Amino acid sequence: MSRFFYPKLAATNLKKNAQTYLPYILTCIGTVMMYYIMVFLSKNEGLGKMTGGSEVQTILNLGCYVIAIFAAIFLFYTHSFLIKRRKKEFGLFNILGMEKKHIARVLAIETLYVAGISLGAGLLGGILLSKLIFMVLLKILNFEVPLGFEVSGPALAAVLVLFAGIFLLTLLNTLRQIHLAKPVELLMGGQTGEKEPKTKWLLVAMGTLSLGGGYYISLTTESPLAALTQFFFAVLLVMVGTYCLFTAGSIAVLKLLRRNKGYYYQTRHFTAVAGMMYRMKQNAVGLANICIMATAVLVMVSTTVSLYIGMEDVLRTRYPQHIMISTPVPAQQSVEGLQTSVKEVLAKHGLEGKDRLDYRYAALVGNQEGDRVITDMSNISDDSSSVREFYLIPLEDYNRLAKRTASLGDDEILIYSSSSKYEEDTLTVLNRTFTVKERLDSFFENSPNRVSISGSYYVVVKDMDVVKAMEEARAKENGDDPSGYRYYLGFDLEAGEADISAVYQDIRTAVGSDYPGSSIESPVAAKESFFAIYGGLFFLGIFLGALFIMATVLIIYYKQVSEGYDDKARFEIMQKVGMSREEVRGSIRSQVLIVFFLPLVAAGIHIAFAFPIITKLLAVLNLTNVGLFAWCTAGTILVFALFYAIVYGLTAKVYYRIVSWGTSG
Amino acid sequence: MTILEVNNLKKVYTTRFGGSPVQALANVSFSVEEGEYAAIMGESGSGKTTLLNILASLDKPTSGEVLLKGKGLTTIKEKEISAFRRENLGFVFQDFNLLDTFSLQDNIFLPLVLSGKSYEEMSRRLEPIARKLGIGDILAKYPYEVSGGQKQRCAVARALITKPQLILADEPTGSLDSQSAEGLLRLFKEINSEGQTLLMVTHSVKAASHAKRVLFIKDGEVFHQLYKAGMSDEAMYQKISDTLTTMATGGGHHE
Repeated sequence: MSRFFYPKLAATNLKKNAQTYLPYILTCIGTVMMYYIMVFLSKNEGLGKMTGGSEVQTILNLGCYVIAIFAAIFLFYTHSFLIKRRKKEFGLFNILGMEKKHIARVLAIETLYVAGISLGAGLLGGILLSKLIFMVLLKILNFEVPLGFEVSGPALAAVLVLFAGIFLLTLLNTLRQIHLAKPVELLMGGQTGEKEPKTKWLLVAMGTLSLGGGYYISLTTESPLAALTQFFFAVLLVMVGTYCLFTAGSIAVLKLLRRNKGYYYQTRHFTAVAGMMYRMKQNAVGLANICIMATAVLVMVSTTVSLYIGMEDVLRTRYPQHIMISTPVPAQQSVEGLQTSVKEVLAKHGLEGKDRLDYRYAALVGNQEGDRVITDMSNISDDSSSVREFYLIPLEDYNRLAKRTASLGDDEILIYSSSSKYEEDTLTVLNRTFTVKERLDSFFENSPNRVSISGSYYVVVKDMDVVKAMEEARAKENGDDPSGYRYYLGFDLEAGEADISAVYQDIRTAVGSDYPGSSIESPVAAKESFFAIYGGLFFLGIFLGALFIMATVLIIYYKQVSEGYDDKARFEIMQKVGMSREEVRGSIRSQVLIVFFLPLVAAGIHIAFAFPIITKLLAVLNLTNVGLFAWCTAGTILVFALFYAIVYGLTAKVYYRIVSWGTSG
Repeated sequence: MTILEVNNLKKVYTTRFGGSPVQALANVSFSVEEGEYAAIMGESGSGKTTLLNILASLDKPTSGEVLLKGKGLTTIKEKEISAFRRENLGFVFQDFNLLDTFSLQDNIFLPLVLSGKSYEEMSRRLEPIARKLGIGDILAKYPYEVSGGQKQRCAVARALITKPQLILADEPTGSLDSQSAEGLLRLFKEINSEGQTLLMVTHSVKAASHAKRVLFIKDGEVFHQLYKAGMSDEAMYQKISDTLTTMATGGGHHE
């Protein structure tokens, strides 16, 4: 036998199976490209040196892992599909006298070709595109774009190791399958018995419960902090529910329909119900995959896009004032020194503080249980949803800021809440019971609308004595030193970002040394790191979104192709038995439509139910603009649906060509 | 009364890229009377399948006409042809053509469901047929769960349930073991004795020897025909074999 026989045969095989191999190779190339670019960015030294760059790289690093794991699972899965379709071919080779080791050799050479093409084209594309993507990322991050072009050695190595591993694994798995099978089994490979699926009521019940549970969590979670921990649990439940309901639920529904004889034995329903049952059995897991991936893409893209677009909002929510100083005031010190320092700095810059806001307060954290608050740190429960922050403010400061003349008795309070309302008539904290004199609907103008991950209350007490007494009680309970009270001073500046930044820096130096432990914040200073984090997330969202869409496209394509081959035979039989071509065509088309748009509809429903909990999560990230998020979600769904429809249309062409309407009959 | 009349049927296939045209049927004429049981024999490539496809209105002749109860098949509109086929013709195929997605009962019901019959009527019609074919206890099963003989009996039931004018059988014993084939042929005889007209295409001498009349096709023409009359199956078998030998060795027409 010629030395070139095997390489030649391998090449012919790939060409002959181009219809299924080409998309696979393209996906390999795409994945290689994306992985290279992601590793390149996460290891790029230039990016790491920029302000906020290291945060971005932490996020991108996460992206690398996601892509690597995803690539492994996904390429493995699609390759097993390819091999399933080719089993007959292997059986034929076997019968024609090729031993299994010869087939293995051909397969190894094929894998080598595929790997060579994928890595070659993928790396080339990745290297060329990496510069472009790098510039896009920097643009998103508001960073300056450096000149120059580089190829990253570590990234190349990472790609080679990962994909060599994946290709080797797929090859070994294929060889294992071939090795175990008898030639006859291989010949029959494509058409092993289509048993009618059983109704698995347990799975249906489980699916319904977990999906319902997931939705319930999303709808009922109130506190953002709880949302943070509950979200992943809810996601898990919804995923389990999706798999169960797609696999078992769909079959159960179809069987119920079939049991209804009046419905089932109608021309339109008859073939549809039986056809759908068959399709769902074949495709349920694939469809559930598409559904979950679509949901993931939608959530990821809509949240990251709205965070990025809403950056200004986010900054304003997190930093309501241009300069925000909050400092502990020890017993022997007064706040006048601070006020003077700030005044001096402003005078130096020729600026004046606007909407000035200052008050004294003490902060308490505890678990709220009805009208009681447990502040003992050693006793604080794990239930994050009941954690509340309490800001105690003296009446004098409140009256001044709110321009009111309210009066309070010793144990009387006014209470204001930024999130949930305080419903009780009394408040017992640190063994002292206060009577709620008034629940305030609003606090003073420009009051810091602290969107904290836990709920927070502003409690106005009679005077500083009460504030100090409470702080002392707190320190005593926890066995640490009382830190006196705190003082907040915030104001806006009518100036450009550069000036605000300069004022901020000066205040930092002036106040920082005199008042240790003080926190001085400004949206201008935080802007860069916000851009780095949210921009990084945004980039990752879009990037992974693209990857998932690529995967979805490939799954849809393979589904169409395999359905096409199966439908061809059924289509011919139906015509022979007396269905007109139009009837068959209509029936198959509607089934295909249902099958492919079911995941999208399910994803839409998931998103709708996930909406409440995601808004809470975004609140943790300081995005409170629900309207913006709603628009972003709607927009993402629309774009995705459009994309999905286009992909469906394109792959449907392949499908119809396989079934080839009209050549028979 | 004549059920099927075939006049001067001609079918020429032209290949797509301007290759030379292939003549599948040159000039075929014959007729089938009501209650007849006819078999068409011929070697592979003699045009049997083309003829059957035209009779089944799955294909159109190049020229000539096919009349079913005096109605020209070629004149029926494309839209009505499926309904016409469903209501007037029953089919039995070599490879059964049962749909894996349906239970055997639903496979049998398929043509009736397409005609919009109610479930009650379908069950009423199925009951005697199922009893006769001995498939009553496997109706709930799926095609992949039963043997070839059982599948073919279900296919026969599907052909019978529409009460067709004519049943067309294409190589019905081709995929069956000898015992099942024997059973099926007995069944055809029985159905025929109850008045059902049957036309079977086959190249099995055994199968053809059960028919009342055998038409031989060679090179796209009716070459010869044999009537069974009072002959036994064995005698008919011998006669068919002789005719085939004559045809193979290149004997001329003799009627």
